[in-house]
Order: sequence, then C-alpha cells, then structure tokens
Amino acid sequence: MSALLEKLLRAKLTIWVLLVAPAIWALKPLFSPDPSDADPLKSTLLHLGLIACIVLAVVLAFTPLRVLWPKWGVAQALNRHRRLVGVGAFAYAILHFTAHVLHSYDGGFGTFWKEIQKPFQLIGLGALLILFVLTITSLNAAIRWMGGKAWKNLHRLAYVAAALAAWHQADARKVFPMQVVWIFGPLAVLEIARIWKQRVRRDV
Amino acid sequence: MLIRTPKNWALPESAATPESVYRNRRAFLKTLGLAGAALTSRDLLATTAGFPTRVNADYRDPALKPTNYELITSYNNFYEFGTDKADPKPNANKGWKTEPWTVELTGLINNPLKIDANDLVMKMGGAEQRVYRFRCVEAWSMVIPWDGFPLSKLIKFADPKPEAKFVTFTTFLDPKSAPGQRGSAIAWPYFEGLRMDEAMHDLSFIATGIYGKPIPNQNGAPLRLVVPWKYGFKCGKSIVKIDFVAKQPRNSWQVLQSSEYGFYANVNPTVDHPRWTQASERVIGAGGAFGTRQKTLMFNGYEAQVADLYRGMDLRKNY
Repeated sequence: MSALLEKLLRAKLTIWVLLVAPAIWALKPLFSPDPSDADPLKSTLLHLGLIACIVLAVVLAFTPLRVLWPKWGVAQALNRHRRLVGVGAFAYAILHFTAHVLHSYDGGFGTFWKEIQKPFQLIGLGALLILFVLTITSLNAAIRWMGGKAWKNLHRLAYVAAALAAWHQADARKVFPMQVVWIFGPLAVLEIARIWKQRVRRDV
Repeated sequence: MLIRTPKNWALPESAATPESVYRNRRAFLKTLGLAGAALTSRDLLATTAGFPTRVNADYRDPALKPTNYELITSYNNFYEFGTDKADPKPNANKGWKTEPWTVELTGLINNPLKIDANDLVMKMGGAEQRVYRFRCVEAWSMVIPWDGFPLSKLIKFADPKPEAKFVTFTTFLDPKSAPGQRGSAIAWPYFEGLRMDEAMHDLSFIATGIYGKPIPNQNGAPLRLVVPWKYGFKCGKSIVKIDFVAKQPRNSWQVLQSSEYGFYANVNPTVDHPRWTQASERVIGAGGAFGTRQKTLMFNGYEAQVADLYRGMDLRKNY
C-alpha cells in the first residue's frame, strides 16, 4: 500500500493532477453558478484563497515529514516535488488576487485601491510578493546563480509567507475562522516536532 | 384629486386568497395529519397572521428591483446557525421551532406583556408590504419586499414611560437548536438597540414576511427588526424580548469589536470600516457570475427621511 502510494507520488503527473484538480472546484461558480449562490465570484475568490493556503501549508510540511520519518518512502517521494508544489501555491495565490481585483472592480479601480490599503489586504499582498519572488527563483539556473546557501536562506521566506497567509485568512473574517487552525495547526505541530528533534540530535 | 395609477405589481383584490380560506390553512394542514407534518417541517412557517399582505405604495419605489427570493433566503448572516452565509438555510431548518413563539414587551412601559407572535401581528392590524434597500456592513446589498408592521405601532401599544430613551431587541437563546450558540463567537443571545426617535421613525419596521410569504427561519422567523438606513447587523432576528431602557445599550457587535462596529451603524459611504471601504457595494443577484458594484448612498438612500435624526452629530465618531 505504502509502496504503491510512494510510487504514485514519485510521478510528476500525479502531483500535477493533484494541483490542478482543485481549480475545477474553485472556478466552477463562474461557469455554472448555483442558483442560490448570491455572489459566485466571491465564492471563487474564497475557494482560491483557501486552496492557496492549503497548498502552502502542505508543501511546507514535506521537510518536517522527512526529518521526522527519514526512512518513510512517501515523505521522500513528496520531497522531490517541493518546488513544483510551491509554485502551485503561488499560482492559486495570484488567481485569488486576480479574483480580488475583479470583485472590487467598480467600473474603475477606485474600490480596489482603497481596499488594498487595508491592513488585512496588505498582509495578504505581502505573502503574495514573497511567493512571487520564490517562484521566479525556483529554476535550477537561479540556484546555480545564487549559490545553494543564499538560495536556501531566501526560500526560508516561505515560512514568513505562511504566517502572513494565516494572519490574512484570520483577519479577513468578522469572527476568527477555525479553518486557519485546521490548515496551519498541523504544520505548526510538525515544525515544533522537527525543531525539537533537530535540537536533540545536535545536543547528542 | 389624487388618482393612483395601479402598478403592474398591484394585484387586484380579486386575486387575493379569501381570508376565510387563508385562516383555515393551519387547521387544514393539521387535518392532513402525518402528510401535513412532513410538509410543514421542511419549511416551517412561523408567523402566518396578517397574510396576504397589502402593498404599501408609499414604500414601493419603482426604481428598486427586488432581489430574487431564492437569494434573499439563501445568503444570510445569522451566526446562531453558522458563520458561512450558506449555513443558516440548512441549519435553521433542522427542527428549530419558531412556532408557537412568545415575545415579551418589558422595561419602562405602561403595558408590559408576553404575547404570541401571531396575536401580536393581529393586534398591530395585520401586515403590509414595503420594499426596502438592505445594506450589509460587509459591503453587499439587496432589495427586499418585507411584510410586517411599523415598529412605531408596537411602541405606541407598549406605551413607554417618559424615562424610556432606548429600545432594545433580544434574539432567542437555544444552543440545542442553534449550533452557533454552542460556540463563543458572540456573547449570546444577540442583542441590538435603537434610540427612541430612531425606533419611532416611520421607516423602522418589524418584519414577519418576505415577498408576501411568512419569513423563513434563516431570515429571522418569526419576527425581526428592519432598519433600512442602518447596516444589516442592527436588524436583530428572531426576537424574544423588546425592552425599553433609559441608558444607551451596547449592542452585540459593539461588545465584540467596538473599533469596528458602533451603536449607530448608519450606512455611510464616507466612513470606512477599518478593514474595507464602504464607498461601494456588491449588488446581489445582478451582473451575472462576475457580479457588479454600485455606489453606496448616504443613509442607504434614505437621507431625506432620516438625516434630521443625526443633525449636529459627528458621524465619524458616532459610526
């Protein structure tokens, strides 16, 4: 079972399918809106943001999974695709941003300009900018050009992006949405376990 | 001489269901027995008194195009039944009973009493229909044909004492039926209030129906407040208590986050919510899948009627 899963997850095609499939769900309201959906574009906007957060949390979990269970084939398989999945998170984030622009369109961009200056939107924009920088430096050529150490340091900004995304998601609602905990909670637990394990190893 | 040209929505008297038939509807459903129970439990109708309603032509601006019934009854902020706007429709129709329903009039009044919601509607002289703009603090809007009676009628009936300066509205509390009330998102029960002159204003309304049908549970059955020049959260739903008090109360959202929600909550395009602009609004049900926006009007388009209530007040401070 685990071996089959590992084999599947090693294939790039599987990862592509898993990354693209949620887009169908996210964009569906725009192509065949539910008659009881009062604001289909808003539904798409929320779906895209939700997927962006989930993909980002998932890709960041790959490393701690491998550190905690180094011999687990599935964790090894997943870690082959870190950059691809990371770029996937950016793709959803930029689609989410595009939906924001369309949603605030009032015949011009006056509403958009006012909205983007609000703190929760600036926080989301910060996460998007980080993901953008990480995406354009995700090619092998960029790693060679920057040098492995500098590249790694730059790409640690992904954790900052995740923190900003969680904050953005929580602050976008009138009351705290529990989904933030479901999405980023497991990642936080894995990270704490990983740091703890690495520290113990260093102490020995 | 005043000649009133009937509009296309003004149905002739002959089209109305005879009152005797209408009044017997419940008895009829009861006699249906099990079949009747199955019928009503799916779409529980709480306050059936006062229907069919008469359209009040003074509150039927032909320029306002009412939002589709399906959308009005599917897109709801009713945190007692979940924080997603699609939550209340299913969750408020899983056995939550809005009939019979008792409302309590209490506080600084000469006529305190507890009364059945249907009896109250009959006491108020039945229901009338008014088409109002509805603007949510989240920057979206609808146009809703409400059925009900003016709040001022109820206040006159309650007969407030001179020291009563504010009217407060308490929503039901029943965590067993309302899953949202099992969490602590808001200090339940939901609580709202109006200044006496606001409450006495002719636009302030108690709704018991939408589109000539008894109000669905998810929209605040059997009785809810409608104050069209204020943001939607001022319009407390499923009211069980109307209390007349001397001091300005703190409403639920103000208690939760006073920097974002004030007591007045008048629709005002020039005063932004800290997290989004109020200058424009999404028009629900218009513009296809991508939707559309319109400019938000001062006092939600009721400036001529209500601006006097706030003469000399700093609306930036009193948001």
